[in-house]
Amino acid sequence: MDFESYDVLVVGGGLAGIRAAIAVVETNPSLKVGMVSKVYPMRSHTVSAEGGAAAVLRPEDSYETHAYDTIKGSDYLADQDVVEAFVREAPIEVIQMEHWGCPWSRDPDGKISVRPFGGMTTWRTCFAADKTGFHMLHTVFQTSLKYPQIHRHDEAFVTKLLVEDGRCVGVVAIDMRSGRFDAITAKAVILATGGMGRVYAFTTNGNICTGDGMALAYRAGVGLKDMEMVQFHPTGLPFTGILITEAVRGEGGYLTNKDGERFLKRYVPNKMELGPRDIISRAMITEFEAGRGFEGPHGKYMHLDVRHLGEAVIDRKLPFMRELGREFVGIDIVHDPIPVRPVMHYMMGGVDANISGATPVSGLYAAGECANVGLNGGNRLGSNSLSECLVFGAATGRAAADYVSSAKAVSANPIEGMLKDETKRIEMDYLEKKSGEERIGAIREDMQLSMDAGAGVFRTREGLENLTKQLGKLRDRFGRIKIEDSSRTFNTELMSVLELDYMLEVAEVITYSALAREESRGAHARRDFPERDDEKFLKHTIAFRTDEISPRLEYRDVRITNFKPQARAY
Amino acid sequence: MSAETETSSRVATRTYKPAMPAGWWLRKGHYFWYMVREFTALPLALWLLWLLYEIQRAGRGPSGYYPPSSTPFVVFSVICLLFALYHSITFLRLAGVILHFKVMDKPVPSGLVVASQFGAWLVASIVIGAVLIGFGR
Amino acid sequence: MAEKRITVRATRFDPAKDSEPRLQSYDIPFSDDSMVVLDALNYIKSHVDGSLSYRWSCRMGICGSCGMTVNGTPKLTCSAFLRDYWPGSITITPLNNFPIVRDLVVDMEDFMEKLKSIKPWIIRKQEMPLGAGEHRQTMEQIDDFRQFSQCINCMLCYAACPVYGLDDKFLGPAAIALARRYNLDSRDQGTKERLPVIAHSDGVWECSFVGECSVVCPKGVDPAKAIQQTKLDTSVRFILPYGNRE
Repeated sequence: MDFESYDVLVVGGGLAGIRAAIAVVETNPSLKVGMVSKVYPMRSHTVSAEGGAAAVLRPEDSYETHAYDTIKGSDYLADQDVVEAFVREAPIEVIQMEHWGCPWSRDPDGKISVRPFGGMTTWRTCFAADKTGFHMLHTVFQTSLKYPQIHRHDEAFVTKLLVEDGRCVGVVAIDMRSGRFDAITAKAVILATGGMGRVYAFTTNGNICTGDGMALAYRAGVGLKDMEMVQFHPTGLPFTGILITEAVRGEGGYLTNKDGERFLKRYVPNKMELGPRDIISRAMITEFEAGRGFEGPHGKYMHLDVRHLGEAVIDRKLPFMRELGREFVGIDIVHDPIPVRPVMHYMMGGVDANISGATPVSGLYAAGECANVGLNGGNRLGSNSLSECLVFGAATGRAAADYVSSAKAVSANPIEGMLKDETKRIEMDYLEKKSGEERIGAIREDMQLSMDAGAGVFRTREGLENLTKQLGKLRDRFGRIKIEDSSRTFNTELMSVLELDYMLEVAEVITYSALAREESRGAHARRDFPERDDEKFLKHTIAFRTDEISPRLEYRDVRITNFKPQARAY
Repeated sequence: MSAETETSSRVATRTYKPAMPAGWWLRKGHYFWYMVREFTALPLALWLLWLLYEIQRAGRGPSGYYPPSSTPFVVFSVICLLFALYHSITFLRLAGVILHFKVMDKPVPSGLVVASQFGAWLVASIVIGAVLIGFGR
Repeated sequence: MAEKRITVRATRFDPAKDSEPRLQSYDIPFSDDSMVVLDALNYIKSHVDGSLSYRWSCRMGICGSCGMTVNGTPKLTCSAFLRDYWPGSITITPLNNFPIVRDLVVDMEDFMEKLKSIKPWIIRKQEMPLGAGEHRQTMEQIDDFRQFSQCINCMLCYAACPVYGLDDKFLGPAAIALARRYNLDSRDQGTKERLPVIAHSDGVWECSFVGECSVVCPKGVDPAKAIQQTKLDTSVRFILPYGNRE
């Protein structure tokens, strides 16, 4: 039996995945790269990133301050050697994007412009109006079309990593269009599947952000690192959760409570609206609890006010925000304040990977949001993630290219059996399943609401323990799931059930990791342990899969180079 | 009314491609006016052919000039005039879409471009009218 | 107060079972004024019929995957509000002019090939080394192509284009708009390389300027403008010999 076979296979077609694929062929043009994505690459969730990408480009800025801001923002949970390498590469990658055609907004002298952003001490966030992710994704995707070595499998859903003798040698994927199960083999596999926001009910993330790569790696025996570190963005639109970019505050917008007061003066007096996301989100919840939020049909909210910026600035720098306000809220942000509240946004944690994206399983790499290379620690600074996708996408691509030049060819023999087993598993468990009464949508919704309630901005032991029980029950219900769609053609219900399986796994890891971290650090705020505890927890949590619902947790020291942990005040 | 195709671009899966119904241009006002615009060219062409024939006859001197003045022809001519006006207006409006000038590094607004087109049209009409009337006297 | 409800009809088509598409009707609660057509589909999939298939992701009008025909007009279903249709009913069909794969899912491989054919990347005679920094480009130079760079590939323009419906060899609105986006970029020198595809008889000259592509575009790209401008440019190039130079 013949399988599609590549030197490097990238799973995921967002910014990190495509950047990695290009890096592979630029490192060694003779390599053949496959790219599997469950959606057409330009649909990837990178497209929704708005504010910008951080890079040190100005003479008055320095690598050291970008590193310091990132490390302080991470509440000292970032690996400092990784951060230091990152800040040096980010400007090169931003220039590379410019050469590929990204329409970066410019200064009058024609150079790439920068804007202020939360937690950054100076202006260093490059932007393309307020559609930065959209422009970067389309630029890098369209650029990728010029490389004949990159062969895409669009709309193919990966169900399993093929691991043989401790080495990753490919994936099993369902071609959505035909329903066919394919084994796609490769000497190296790069996971770049993005985030997992749909584990929560109220999230900025798109429907496709279901933690696929995290669950795939976890099942293949790789640890998931720092999964309790879930970022809540302060400014999401009520009801939809649509992201209102931090650039709104960067450009000078105010956050006000129902008394019209810029309440952040009580929380981040020196930074005000440019404080880091974790602290501002907590401040908003605290204000809500004190009765100082607005009450709306979709819950409490605050005002994000840009009226004083004027129409010209808004149209130049924040046109998409105006569009979103008009379309989804029915307001004109030039004349009306924007209703916002904290919303789940980003997973700092992810697949345990080193500075080159390599995981402990040989041949398996990870980059972008699905990975944790140690950059973001307890709280990611806004605009570091697009840069992360570029820097670590490229680094991972280069590392994989080097690895495959000396890696052995993949033997087709065991693959056939693995494909057969995986096909049978999905057919028996789902496609040909006759019994069952639980609706996918109902389990998913219960999981999402439970996560919002139990693993939100503030956490407690009681809430997390309760959550573990609820997740256990949901896992049982998942066993009694009902499948209505037996078609092999574009079966989105099959995709939903496989995604739900992944998400339940990710939710479990988040919950158990959060329960065990008995301190408050970065985005992980425990009401019962409100202080940071460097003695015990200046460590990464690493969760490994067991036969039980609860993972086995290990801890690894954070690597500290030049920045000694200090109290984190803004 | 329909065609079924086997697509070969990826895996052979049967797809269903509905054919465009003959009355597709009745589905939307926009489509309808587009068809009207395209159709106006037809009677206009007939009328112009007739005009050429007239001119050829007029070449024989004043005795050869006897334009038809029957009511149907006048009605036809009026319709052709309306069609010509509609077609011209849509064409001149198009200029606002296509032409992009910059004056002092600032793009000229398309409304101004369209207005200038209509202005030029008006001037040309007046000049031609004046010439014809002048010669006619 | 009685619960508000709305009737939604959606195209169903499973190539293994159905010889042709049919409409299926669902009566669902219209519980919140903020609900969009996509929410109605998601309600059906979660609570009524899990087998209904359609694409969606970002639900904020930027990923481009949820384009469908809503009551005869191509729309992003994430930004089409139920309140604009209620108490009338809603009929959701796949985007016109594309082969239907399943239910509301269409085959857009044709566009993916066309996109590639216009070489949508910066082409330079001499690549600038990364160490030399960025190309200088002013905001005014970006204004020249900004509009055409807003395309999200949602395919609404192809669904609205009768020319494409009658002859799918036509390169189509979005692909031409993107070609123009690169041709107008001050960093690009690839206009001549794109010319064979753009100026081909299946390129800009196939367009008879219906203009509906620009009407349905949710991002204000105005592909019709891109096409007519390209017609003028290619004509000028043809007439003026020096215009053929870069």
